[in-house]
Amino acid sequence: MPTELVVPKAGTRELSYAEAIREGLAQAMQADERVFLFGEDVGVYGGAFGVSGDLFHKFGPERVIDTPISELGIAGAAVGAAITGMKPVLELQFSDFVTLAMEQIVNQAAKIHFMFGGKATVPMVVRLPGGSGTGAAAQHSQSLEAWFAHVPGLKVVQPSTPHDAKGLLLAAIDDPNPVLIFEHKLLYKTRGPVPEAAYRVPIGKAAVRRPGRDLTIVGSSIMAIRAASAAARLATEDIDAEVIDLRSLRPIDLATIAASVRKTHRLLIVYEGVKIMGIGAEISAMIAESDAFDFLDAPIARLGGADVPLPYNPVLEKAAVPQEDDIVAAARRLVREGRA
Amino acid sequence: MAIAPGSRTSAAQAPERPELAALGDDALRVALSRMQLIRKFEEAAEASYMRGLIHGTMHLSIGQEASAVGATLELARDDYILSTHRGHGHCIAKGADPARMFAEFFGKENGYCRGRGGSMHIADVEGGNLGANGIVAGGLPIAVGVGMSIKAQKQHRVCMVFFGDGAANEGAFHESLNMASIWRLPIVFVCENNKYGMSMDIARAMAVANVADRAPAYAMPGVAVDGNDLPAVVAAARPAIARARQGGGPTLLECKTYRLRGHSKSDRNLYRSKEEIEAWRDKDAIRRLERELVSHGRLTEDELLAIEQAAQKTIDDAVEFAKTSPDPDPAQLARDVYAD
Amino acid sequence: MPIEVILPKVDMDMDDGIITEWKVAPGDRVRQGQVLFDIETNKSVMEVESPGTGVIRDLAPITGEPIAVGTVVAWIDADAEVGASPPAAAERAKTPSSSATKEDAVGHAAASAMPAASVEAATVPRSDSIRATPLARRAARMLDVNLASVTGSGPAGRIVEKDVAAHAGQKPKRAVASADRLVPFNPVRRIVAQRLAESARNAPHFFVSAQIDMGALQTALRHPGGAQSPERPRPSITVALAYLAGRVLALHPLLNASIEGDAVRLHARVNIGVAIDDQGDLFVPVLRDVPAHTLDDLAREFARLRAAVRAREIVPDDMRGGTFTISNLGMYGVDAFTAIINPPESAILAIGRTADTPVGRDGQVVLRPMATFTLSSDHRIVDGVTAARFVADLREAIEHPEGLS
Repeated sequence: MPTELVVPKAGTRELSYAEAIREGLAQAMQADERVFLFGEDVGVYGGAFGVSGDLFHKFGPERVIDTPISELGIAGAAVGAAITGMKPVLELQFSDFVTLAMEQIVNQAAKIHFMFGGKATVPMVVRLPGGSGTGAAAQHSQSLEAWFAHVPGLKVVQPSTPHDAKGLLLAAIDDPNPVLIFEHKLLYKTRGPVPEAAYRVPIGKAAVRRPGRDLTIVGSSIMAIRAASAAARLATEDIDAEVIDLRSLRPIDLATIAASVRKTHRLLIVYEGVKIMGIGAEISAMIAESDAFDFLDAPIARLGGADVPLPYNPVLEKAAVPQEDDIVAAARRLVREGRA
Repeated sequence: MAIAPGSRTSAAQAPERPELAALGDDALRVALSRMQLIRKFEEAAEASYMRGLIHGTMHLSIGQEASAVGATLELARDDYILSTHRGHGHCIAKGADPARMFAEFFGKENGYCRGRGGSMHIADVEGGNLGANGIVAGGLPIAVGVGMSIKAQKQHRVCMVFFGDGAANEGAFHESLNMASIWRLPIVFVCENNKYGMSMDIARAMAVANVADRAPAYAMPGVAVDGNDLPAVVAAARPAIARARQGGGPTLLECKTYRLRGHSKSDRNLYRSKEEIEAWRDKDAIRRLERELVSHGRLTEDELLAIEQAAQKTIDDAVEFAKTSPDPDPAQLARDVYAD
Repeated sequence: MPIEVILPKVDMDMDDGIITEWKVAPGDRVRQGQVLFDIETNKSVMEVESPGTGVIRDLAPITGEPIAVGTVVAWIDADAEVGASPPAAAERAKTPSSSATKEDAVGHAAASAMPAASVEAATVPRSDSIRATPLARRAARMLDVNLASVTGSGPAGRIVEKDVAAHAGQKPKRAVASADRLVPFNPVRRIVAQRLAESARNAPHFFVSAQIDMGALQTALRHPGGAQSPERPRPSITVALAYLAGRVLALHPLLNASIEGDAVRLHARVNIGVAIDDQGDLFVPVLRDVPAHTLDDLAREFARLRAAVRAREIVPDDMRGGTFTISNLGMYGVDAFTAIINPPESAILAIGRTADTPVGRDGQVVLRPMATFTLSSDHRIVDGVTAARFVADLREAIEHPEGLS
């Protein structure tokens, strides 16, 4: 399987983010009979966000399995299937429900390979639709990826484009370790070029979406998209932003971020998860510990989710997470005033 | 009077009960050997612990040997078991090498888990033991996945998962039995009811009198048996294993037993009386079996002694092996966090 | 708060200076305007005055090595300033110094009794109490800038990289004192070098000298006809000589000519270039059509040209089209010299200093203000006699400058 193209060739046909995932699943299941998809309402219903679509009809009830509402049980089932030779892809309906499955993901999946001295592997994938913006409110809108990026033994990725959604999924399925894919609900309908053949986007490699000289904006998932839009606006006011799409949270591509900061001297990190104790805090510390520190000409700035449960009201909901305007304002503040 | 197979009785012997009669001499030797091995193992582990050779804590299964050995006696080598935090017995019953088990308890590099797992996470993956588990009910959802895996790969294996009475009140128990039933998975659920969670009497913790009473709620057979009666346990497990292997689905087997020692090494047994402990000591599974075998002329006293002494020797050698095994290298700390 | 004493730029074209002597000692009370130290530049030794009043400390040692302009060479802890509000930039973390000021005021009387080291320890501003970004610190290290002397433009007076770069821009890079300096040609020097090398290579130079009595000319210039005013600057000797040479050249066309291949171009006009040195660069602005102008005209024009050179606003047109050049090094005390012809001209006149010289006149030895003129000629066009005749006529014109106006 070829390695990824960060920028697909011109003329590549477009798919939505959801369709790209579906195509990836289909190709993986076609190629390897050990791969199966299971979760709540993934079968006939086609998935709560329409991702599995017609896979049930293509592959049947033994490859696309509807489960009872038993997050802990099905997470453990993914572990059990993985350690005995299968390659399960588990869909949790909302990323918030991972809280019910934490035990099996954190205590079992993440640790079995290590605890057993390398004797067993857990090649499972968990797909989690997360993020806010659909009015689903506090218990259905969270961005919890930082929790799992904190656990040795897990891998955590966040695709921002249809191209990366398919490529990261295929890389995750191929990976002998447990991989969590945090998809963003607002991205399912976005469209973009997706090569038809199977391909992998390497886990642990960020993508420079836009080169620049004045500051580095690092974001993942929908924040990478908003950062790119913000950068286009900033260019019209003569601020040349370099935009980095993390794509992977664990392992994280520190080298790409550090190289960028050495060049631009300013860093703005944008993420949807709650700001404090989140991925922005970690990246700030990593950069401060790295040799890029000596090249900082301003404090490291972070834009993260507000310190509140996600509210229902749409204006409040928007105000609770960084928007494009916030990114533009923060970049201006950082470049023009040297303030975080 | 029917002559039971393999018996060397004379007309003066009492008739064997069917459970015993169903077991050949070789099977009985194996069973007794294993039970003695477990007993000696646990006693040696306790002694080592008290001598300060073992880090952390351990959960001894002295008094529960019959349920571990009886349930697993008729499993095939490539059948799977999943165990609990009190899993030394299951591990030995499934054929693990006590030397490598002790090495693991001593945290040594040539332990089953390279010293990374310890008592609570001991596993013998090649031997079909998918691991003891530090989380109560942790193995139950994993068993569901193992069952799904066996079916998907069209194997004829069985997955036997052990858990305690306390685990029967975890959500994972209910989710797992439900899914095993709706999908007719090849699982034998074995509850070792030793009457106490940690300190809580099961009678106060559980809404029904027997764990097996819950089986009908999940549309599967439920069987309660004297867990200290080896032939009875074997006889109860036999149809459950066959049912699973033939695609008939899961069974819930409850072995009523008793642990003679506290929950763990920190347990001061404040929650039960000395009298209670003594009463159960008289129902000791090994003594009971030995008495019965002798009375039916199945094995001689000398043979029994030989088995016991052989077990002791194996354990003594195992401890020596462990003491002289190498410690892990701290430079290898991060090894096996991820599989390559 | 403490006042920086920097090594100032006291001269044009000065990169660095050497402190030759401190006039005060650490712990002395100094007054604004008081001389603190002497510095030696490439031209002279200058006194440097104190920028403020207070107690001076941390004097840079005298090593004989050049110190870059702008380097802090001492600190003055100012007295408590009544009614003075400190600038915002100075608020940045100078707390060690402000407490030190109190200490100094209290300990001032005993300053001479305190060992210098402990005074320093109490009052040296630590670089880690200065707000500066990591990049700015790095730049400061690499550009050899003392952060304490940089004003920060960032929030709370934080020094950012561009502040350091700007500060460094005031001090051009200097090589390590003991090593050679390689100074690349500036454009003027490059052209001069090229043309004069060409001239020396191609024109066979020969030289004719004469000692000329400048007395009459000096007298004539001291009492010019008409009033002097800014619009009517007093003509200098050089301008007067240009005026006279112009009239003489009109009679000696071969000295106002250019070689062109196998031919000689005899120029219709006499355009005299006057060599001027400005800050080490050589310029030759041209006085056009000299015989057609009065002395006053020439004086005015020359003043204009000289000002343009000084301001580096001289345009190429002002330096083009010369047919003869004169160069006067007399003011530097040079007795005589031979100049290199300014191509494509055929001759150049080198003028030495005027000095009272004993000469024989009417059988007497008298002191006369004599100057040595040396004419360099291109022997391809000019023969010895031609040159000699010109010089003779020139002497006549200078020694009898009647009708100079």
